Amino acid sequence: MSGGAGRAGAGGSLIEARDLELSFGATPALRGASLAADAGEMLAVMGPSGSGKSTLLYCLAGILQPSAGEVWFGGRRIDTLGETERSALRRDRFGFVFQSGQLVPELSAVENVALPLLLGGMRRASALAQARPWFGRLGLDGLEGRRSGELSGGQAQRVALARGLITRPAVLFADEPTGSLDSLTGEQVMGLLTEAARDQGSTVILVTHEPRVAAYARREVIVRDGRVSSLTAGRVGS
Amino acid sequence: MIRLGAMIRLGLRLAVGGGREAAVRLVLIAAAVAAGSALLLITLAGLNAVNAQNGRYAWLGTGSGPAAPARSASATADPAPAGANRQDPLWWRLTVDFYDGRIIGRVDVAATGPHSPVPPGLPALPGPGQSYASPALAALLRSVPPARLGDRYPGKAAGLIGPAGLPSPDSLIIVTGYRPGQLAGLPGARAVTSIQTISPSSCNGQNCSVSGGLNAAAIDLILSTIALGLLFPVLMFIGTATRLSAARREQRFAAMRLTGATPRQISVLAATESVAAAAAGTVAGFCVFYAIRPVVAAFPFTGAAFFTGDLSLSVPVIAAVALGVPLAAAVASLTALRRVRISPLGASRRTRPPAPRAWRLIPLAAGLAALAFFAITGGLPQWHREPGMPGMTTTGQLQAFLPGFALVLAGLVIAGPWLTMTGARLLARRARRPAALIAARRLADNPRAGFRAVSGLILTLFVTTVTLGVITTIAANRGAHAGPEARSTLVAQLVGAQQPGVPATPLAPPGPAQLDRLRGTPGVRGVLLVRSDPGGQVQLPGGGGAIPAGLVSCAQLAGVPGAGRCPAGATAAVIPEQIIGPAGHNSRSQVGHVWPAAAITARQLGQRGVVSAAVATDGTGPALERARTALERALPGLAAASTPAEESQLAGFAQQTSEEQKLADVIIIASLVIAGCTMATSVAAGLTERQRPFSLLRLTGVPVSTLRAVVGLESAVPLLIVAAVATGAGFLAAQLYLVTQLGYTLAPPTSAYYLIVAGGLTAALAVIGSALPLLRKITGPEMARNE
Repeated sequence: MSGGAGRAGAGGSLIEARDLELSFGATPALRGASLAADAGEMLAVMGPSGSGKSTLLYCLAGILQPSAGEVWFGGRRIDTLGETERSALRRDRFGFVFQSGQLVPELSAVENVALPLLLGGMRRASALAQARPWFGRLGLDGLEGRRSGELSGGQAQRVALARGLITRPAVLFADEPTGSLDSLTGEQVMGLLTEAARDQGSTVILVTHEPRVAAYARREVIVRDGRVSSLTAGRVGS
Repeated sequence: MIRLGAMIRLGLRLAVGGGREAAVRLVLIAAAVAAGSALLLITLAGLNAVNAQNGRYAWLGTGSGPAAPARSASATADPAPAGANRQDPLWWRLTVDFYDGRIIGRVDVAATGPHSPVPPGLPALPGPGQSYASPALAALLRSVPPARLGDRYPGKAAGLIGPAGLPSPDSLIIVTGYRPGQLAGLPGARAVTSIQTISPSSCNGQNCSVSGGLNAAAIDLILSTIALGLLFPVLMFIGTATRLSAARREQRFAAMRLTGATPRQISVLAATESVAAAAAGTVAGFCVFYAIRPVVAAFPFTGAAFFTGDLSLSVPVIAAVALGVPLAAAVASLTALRRVRISPLGASRRTRPPAPRAWRLIPLAAGLAALAFFAITGGLPQWHREPGMPGMTTTGQLQAFLPGFALVLAGLVIAGPWLTMTGARLLARRARRPAALIAARRLADNPRAGFRAVSGLILTLFVTTVTLGVITTIAANRGAHAGPEARSTLVAQLVGAQQPGVPATPLAPPGPAQLDRLRGTPGVRGVLLVRSDPGGQVQLPGGGGAIPAGLVSCAQLAGVPGAGRCPAGATAAVIPEQIIGPAGHNSRSQVGHVWPAAAITARQLGQRGVVSAAVATDGTGPALERARTALERALPGLAAASTPAEESQLAGFAQQTSEEQKLADVIIIASLVIAGCTMATSVAAGLTERQRPFSLLRLTGVPVSTLRAVVGLESAVPLLIVAAVATGAGFLAAQLYLVTQLGYTLAPPTSAYYLIVAGGLTAALAVIGSALPLLRKITGPEMARNE
C-alpha cells in the first residue's frame, strides 16, 4: 500500500481541481472552482458558511462527482472513476478527519483506527498491531479498548486522526476538525495533525472558518459563492 | 483483492460485539425469526401429520365405495379346507357407536379361511367371541360399568390394536370376531378380499368412500387458515425488529464508506448481520418446534390428536428451512439496503416516500367486494355442493374464501398508513394542546412508522372478529334447532336404511323380556319401536315431500317427546320410518305435529318387523349410555343409537364447534402475544431514536407529561382508528362468509368477543403506558450532549 507523498501531476500539483461546477437542486454550490495543492503541502480553505468550501473538499476527495470540471490526483483524473475505484482511493490514498469524528460506535478505538486496513483485506491481528502505536503517539494510551461513546470529544477526534493517517495517505482531508472542540483541545489536535502529516509527507487540505486554525497552514485560499476567489501565502503553522 | 471472509468476520463482529443496543436488536430479530420458523415448521410438520393420520384411517374404509364386492352366498360357508392357495373373503361390517359424545368405530369381522386379510395393527384376526380394542377404548372399558359400555361388545379381549391401525392415540376402535354365519345375515355386512389402503385424502368417490379422516382439501383449508392467521403478525414482528436502530446502522455504514468501504462491502456487512440474526433465530425455531411438538400433537385440530412422531419433518424440508430462512433474511436485507443511499456523507432515502394516497383502500375494498361477489353469485359452478345443499365445497372455499380473506388482511396492512395519516391530519386540525399537535404532525409526516407499531394488533383484531363471529353464529343456529330432546333421545335405525337403493330388511321384534329390560333400564323414560309399513308413505311436516313411513303404537309415541303426537282416539299412527329427520335438523318441526292415524290393531302391529327405534332418557350421561347398551342388546341389527346432536357431529356438515373454538383461541392468543411483542419493540425503538430530541425539548422547558402524552397519542391514535376499520371489516367478512356458506345471518357477538377485544386493546395501551415512566430517565440532560 503506497502512502506518504504522492506523485505530482503534469502541472506539478499532487491534487488539482479545475473549473468545478456542482449544484444541489436549483442551488449552485460550485461555479467554476479551481484549486491545486502540492505534495506535502498544508492548504487551508476558508470562507463563510454556505460558500461551497466543504463541497469543494468533497469533490477533491472523490466523495461527490462534479457536474462539470475535472479533478486530478497524481497525474490521474479521478472525477470520472466509478464508485468502487473512488472507494479504493479513499481507503488507500486519502485520509479524513471530519468535525464529528464519525467513528463506528460498535468498534473499539483501536479497531476504528485499524478499520481502513481491515477494509483493505489485512488480517485483523496485523491491522491491530499497526494501529496500536498511534495511541501512544497521539496521547491516547490506555484507551485502545474504549468505544466512541466512552471517549471525550478531543480523544475521539484524535482517534479519527489516527484512522485518517494509518494508511500513510497521500492527502489528508480535514473538514472543520476542531469545530466541536474547545480552543485548547482544538490547538492540541491541530498540533498533532500538523506534526503527523509532516512526518509522513502527507498533503493536508483543511477546511475551516477559524483563522486561528487556518494559521497552521502554509497557504490559504478563500471560497466565496462557489469560486476560489483569492490565494494568500500564510504563515507556517507552529 | 478484498477477502469476503474478512468482511464476513467484520460483519459478525459488528452484529455480535456491538454493545447492548446491538445485542438487543440481535435478540429481538432472532426471537421474531424463531417464532416465524417454528410456525413454518409446525405447519409443514402438520401437513405430514395429517396425511400420516389420514393414511391410518384408510383401513376403516374397507368394503366401501362402488368397487366393493357384493355379498356372496358361498362366503357364508364354513372355512375352506387348510392348504387352499387362495385369498379367503373376510366378512366386514363397520358401524359407529358413541360414548359420552365421543365416536367409537366398531368393526365386526368374520374370517372364512386362514388367508382372510388382516387389518393393520392386528397380529391376527379375532376369532369368534374375541375382540381387539384400541388402547384408549380398552382403558375406557375398564373405567366404566359394563352396563354403560362393555356389554355392547360381546367377546373376550384378545389384545390391543397396534399404532399402525390407530389414526390417533385417542382413537376408540374395537374389532370383534364372529362366525361367518352370524355376520353374513346382518345389514351392512360385506365380504371383502382386501383391506382398503387408499387414504381418505385420495378418495374421489370412484375408488372409495370416506369413512373417517378428512379429504385433502379440508386438510389444506385448516392448515392454510392457521398459517394465515399467524403469518401476518409474525412478519410484522420481524419487520419491526429489523428496523430497530436502522438510522444508527445506516450512519455507521456511512462512516465506513467514508473510510473507503465499497458499496459491495457494505452489502456484505449488512447481509452478514441479517443472516447471523436469522440463523440464530432459525436454530431457536427448530428448538422451539421440537420442544412443543408433543403439545401440538395433542391438539385435535383435525378432530383427533396426533402421535408425536406424526409431526415429522423430512430431510429436504429441514434443509430448506435451515438454509432458506437465513437466505431470505439476506435477500430482505439487501433489498432494504437498495432503498437507502449510503454515501460517505451519510444515509438518505433514495427517494423520499410520498404521503400515502387514498388508492391504498382499494385492496381492502377489493377483498370485501370479492367476498360479496361470492355471497351474491355463489361462486363458480364447480365449487357448488350437491343441489339443495348450500355453500361451497371445501375446494371452493380454498379457492374463493381463502384468497378473499388474505386480500382483506393485506388490504388492512396497505390501507393502515393512509388511515393513520388521515386521522392524524384530522387531529392536527383540531388539536388544542401541544402534545396532540406534536403527535399528530409526527404521525402525519411518517404514518408508516406510526401504523407499523400497531399493525400486528390490528390484524389480530380482524382475525378474532371473523373467527368468533363465524363460530358464535354457527353455534347459535345449530344449537337453536336442537331442543332438549335432541340431546336426551336416542335414535337407532337399520344399517341398510342408510344406504340409498339398498332395501332395509326389518328386524324381528324383540321379545317381551328384552323389551321390559330395555324399559326398565335406569334413566329410560320411554321406548318407541317403529314397525315396517311396506310401500307406505307419509308427508313431512312443514311441506316437505312424502317419505317412507313406519307404524307406531300411540302409547309408545306418547312416551317419547319430540316425535309428534297421535290423533285423538287413535291407537296407532303413521310416522316417518326414520324418526327424527336427517341429522336432527328437523326435530323442531316434528315437535307437536299430529301424525295420521294407522288402521291396524295392536296385535297386528306387534307382529310387524322393526325398522327403527327411539329411547327417551332423562338426558344424563350414565342414562344415555345404559340405554344405548340396552338397545344394542335388544336390537343388535340396528345401527348404534345416537342422539340428533351426535348425528350432527357424525354427519360432518361442520366441524365440532368446541374444536373450532379451541383452534380459534390458540390462533388469537398466539397472535395477540406476537402483536404485543411487535408493539413493545416499536415503542422502545421510537423512544431510543428520539432520546436526544426529547432531551433537548426538556432542556427548553417542555414538561415530561407533555412528552408522555406525545408518545401515548402517537400509538393510541392509529390503534383506535384502524382498529375500528379492522373490526368493521371483520364483521362484514364474517357475515359474507356465513351468508354464502351456510345461509346464516351474523349473530351478535358474545361477551367472549368483547373480553378478547377489550383485553387486547388494554394490553396494547399497557405496553405503551409501561414505557412512559422511562421517559424521565432516558431524556435527562446528559442525552443532550454532542456526541
